Amino acid sequence: MPTSTDLLQGTVDVLILQTLAAGPMHGWAVAQRIQQVSKDVLQIGQGSLYPALHRLEYKGWIQSDWGNSENNRRAKFYELTQTGRKQLETELETWTRLSEAIGLVLGRIPEATA
Amino acid sequence: MNDTLKRLRFLLRQTLLRRRRQSELDEELQFHVEQTIAAHLAAGMTAEEARRLALVEFGGMERTREQCHEQRPGWWMGTVAQDVRYALRGFRRNPVFTIAVIATLALGIGATTAVFSVVDRILFRSLPYAHDDRIVSVGLVHSLETQEFMVGGFFFDWRDNQKPFGAMATQGTMPHACDLVENNPEQLDCLNFDAGFLPLLGISPVLGRNFLPEEDRPNGPRVVLISYGLWQGHYNLDPAIIGRLIDVDGNPARVVGVLPKDFQFPTLQPADVIFPFALDRAAQATANGGFGTPMRVFARLKPGVSITQAKEEMEPLFAHTLDTVVPPVLRKDMHLGIRSLRDRETQDMQLTAWILLGSVLAVLLIACANVASLMMARSEARERELAVRSALGASRARLIRQTLTEATLLSLAGAVVGLALAEGLLRVFLDLAPTGIPFLQRAGLDLRIACFTVFLSLLCGVLFGLLPALQTPRVVALAARAAKSRKRTVLRRVLVVGQIAVSMVLLSGSALLLKSFQNIEEQRLGVQTGGVFTVQIPLPSFRYNTRQKQMDFYLQAEAALRRLPGIRAVAISDSVPPGGWQGDYRYSDLAVSGKPHPAPGTGGQVDTRSVTPDYFKALNIPVVRGRNFREEDRHSGESLVIVSRLLADSMFSGEDPIGKRIQAARDPRWHTVVGVAENVKNGGLVEPDNPEVYFLRSNIADYWGERAPLMIVDSVLPPKATVPWVRSQIAQLDPTVPVTTESLNDQVSKLADRPRFETALLGFFAFCGLLMAVIGLYGVIAFVAAQRTQEIGVRMALGATRMNILRLIAGEGLRLTVIGGIVGLGAALATARLLKSLLYNVGPHDPGTYVAVTLLLALVALAATLIPARAAMKVEPVEALRYE
Repeated sequence: MPTSTDLLQGTVDVLILQTLAAGPMHGWAVAQRIQQVSKDVLQIGQGSLYPALHRLEYKGWIQSDWGNSENNRRAKFYELTQTGRKQLETELETWTRLSEAIGLVLGRIPEATA
Repeated sequence: MNDTLKRLRFLLRQTLLRRRRQSELDEELQFHVEQTIAAHLAAGMTAEEARRLALVEFGGMERTREQCHEQRPGWWMGTVAQDVRYALRGFRRNPVFTIAVIATLALGIGATTAVFSVVDRILFRSLPYAHDDRIVSVGLVHSLETQEFMVGGFFFDWRDNQKPFGAMATQGTMPHACDLVENNPEQLDCLNFDAGFLPLLGISPVLGRNFLPEEDRPNGPRVVLISYGLWQGHYNLDPAIIGRLIDVDGNPARVVGVLPKDFQFPTLQPADVIFPFALDRAAQATANGGFGTPMRVFARLKPGVSITQAKEEMEPLFAHTLDTVVPPVLRKDMHLGIRSLRDRETQDMQLTAWILLGSVLAVLLIACANVASLMMARSEARERELAVRSALGASRARLIRQTLTEATLLSLAGAVVGLALAEGLLRVFLDLAPTGIPFLQRAGLDLRIACFTVFLSLLCGVLFGLLPALQTPRVVALAARAAKSRKRTVLRRVLVVGQIAVSMVLLSGSALLLKSFQNIEEQRLGVQTGGVFTVQIPLPSFRYNTRQKQMDFYLQAEAALRRLPGIRAVAISDSVPPGGWQGDYRYSDLAVSGKPHPAPGTGGQVDTRSVTPDYFKALNIPVVRGRNFREEDRHSGESLVIVSRLLADSMFSGEDPIGKRIQAARDPRWHTVVGVAENVKNGGLVEPDNPEVYFLRSNIADYWGERAPLMIVDSVLPPKATVPWVRSQIAQLDPTVPVTTESLNDQVSKLADRPRFETALLGFFAFCGLLMAVIGLYGVIAFVAAQRTQEIGVRMALGATRMNILRLIAGEGLRLTVIGGIVGLGAALATARLLKSLLYNVGPHDPGTYVAVTLLLALVALAATLIPARAAMKVEPVEALRYE
């Protein structure tokens, strides 16, 4: 049970970090962008999004600042910090290694790597 | 400093920030909703539709808010304060529950901590020596000397040829009185040990050094080690004491070292001045009638060697000694003794310690069961509350945390009260305790065990308090009807049965001890104790250096005391009954003229006393045949004896003993029997009586023997009035001699100290146990009765009489009592054997005691049952039916 939650949580964290790598944006935009990029496959509800954003902020991987949104409303913008960028690299590496390994086990891409 | 300041500022900012953070979060979430609405509007929805859908998509705002909040590290600390406040409010609402739990915990924690603090040193704490688990006491034992001893005649043989020990060291058997003759003279206890003694125990002097090997030789320099107490009391901790000459018994001796403050001899004897043993191996062959100097020997086992192995390995040496040194008559009675230092130091206190520990753990068990039962009852009553809180969104973890907080608070409160109680109890124990309990004066509250008991009570509180919180709150609990949990009532019943059983064991144990104590108190001693007191005058041996001088002093003192008003008799003896006396004669040591000598080494111990004629008058011991000694016999030079009836019966079996002549070993004189005295209690209060021989203490100094004389005074006035006169009379003879007096009543009472201590403690535990078990029983019955209120109403509406209801509820209580009582009785009968050696004139399975205890338990349990049962009986049917 705990491992699967961790995996899920970790995944959301990577998705957010990756999304924010493009530049500062507010929470709603993060969710929208993930949905768009994943072609509507991944929909992150606010129930996971905001706790994750706050968690990442407490960890010091992202930082927030109040600014004006595109329609001129006060909104909280998040951006990657230096540590967050490094963290993202490690996470991506891990992810690549993990997905390749899973792929190998599942026999999906044997020729490509062999 | 700077750090703390920074921290404080941080904390302050955190608190101020919290408000802002909260509103920022709200704003952020609000923005999210608005963005969604805007997106829906852009997709062409109506304003209302867009808003509705956005809110639906968003889901629980509150939940998110809480989860965001929980991302903060250390967020839960804030809820602790909240939980504590909530718990305190709950306790205030329910003071009976709170007080009951705290009192139960306090009693359990207090009693356990106090008792453990006492027995810890006896049973568990390592002794204050290096490798204490490998140090043993080695030597011979026989029926008259059960503490291992050796004599110089074979010690060296053993030391040089033994294999199991890494080292062996000796000390003198007994401290002897010696005098520090300085500007401020003082009588001290002196003792000898050899140079290897301190190293064996791993002790180094706190100042100066141990004896050097060349000082531990015959005719070596006269050097001493002194105790810390003497250094402090007499020399004011002056470091210049090292190298100083002090005058002991009129001879100068150089102080070379001071023993550590907390040093204790393995024999637990006090000693202020220690001389090197300086044994002369060659001289030992002739000293003390060829046996050599008696001594106590301690040894350190080699690593990995057990006591049993050591015994096996020492057996050949022992056999050799038996053949060469020990006289043939004694061989059968001599055994090899090797005991661990703990056994040597604690003697027979270990059993008492275990029994006390066992009974106090039983009390703790009952207390824990009570707390568990109370917590369960409370959590059942709160099941609905928990269900409501859960429905309102409190997480499971939050509910568990809440329960945990409550249990912790209760345990902490119980611990605080309990530790205060422990401190008080420990003082009472110290007051009550007999002098024979080793290390008692060093006993202090033991924090380790306090922590352990707090932890244990916390555990049982938390465990049983958590049971309901761990279950998913049931929907039924939300219903208007109070939910009933059959299962947990069963558990509570089992707990009550257990409590009753355990308290039955405690009760019967303490009742047996009480009966035994009564037997001790009420037995006939055979001597009068009221108005009699003893006077001890240890004469400094360097001034009273001949027996003649000593005897003259005592005769003068006797004459002086006789002149005092109200004095009925003044006698001189060497001991006084009923105190246990290490007699030095066996039955076979006595020869009767014209009769075959009994087989050597046979027969039990025979007590001997050397007394003046007034002895029988002072103690009011009737002479049943023949005559008492007369005053003029003291000058006649005749050797006369009086024998006790017990001795007369076994030695002369029917013949008239008067005029017969007997001879004691190591004394060439033949003594004529002039009378037979009634038996007295002379082996201690609980030991069987010994046959006894009274030698006439005639006015011939050579026959005054080794033992220090003791004066016995019988006065018509209370001792309190006479003692000051006695002191002034003796001060007139010699103002420097110390005088100790003690009434015979006090001496007898002191002998009963230990059974009194055991009885009082076990009785107290049994009382606590019973009290708590009864409260537990009451609680369960009251709970069951309250639960069944509606059922009672129905029954009564259907025609049940109040008597039927009483029977219904009381029957429940009686069933629990009977089951618990039977289980307890079985357990009590099984464990009573352990008490056997502590009991006097009462068997461990004394039927009367068990009947009485059972009746007592039944009576108390009945009362505990009838109170709630009567309340149930008075239920008004109409009200009961309307009840839910």
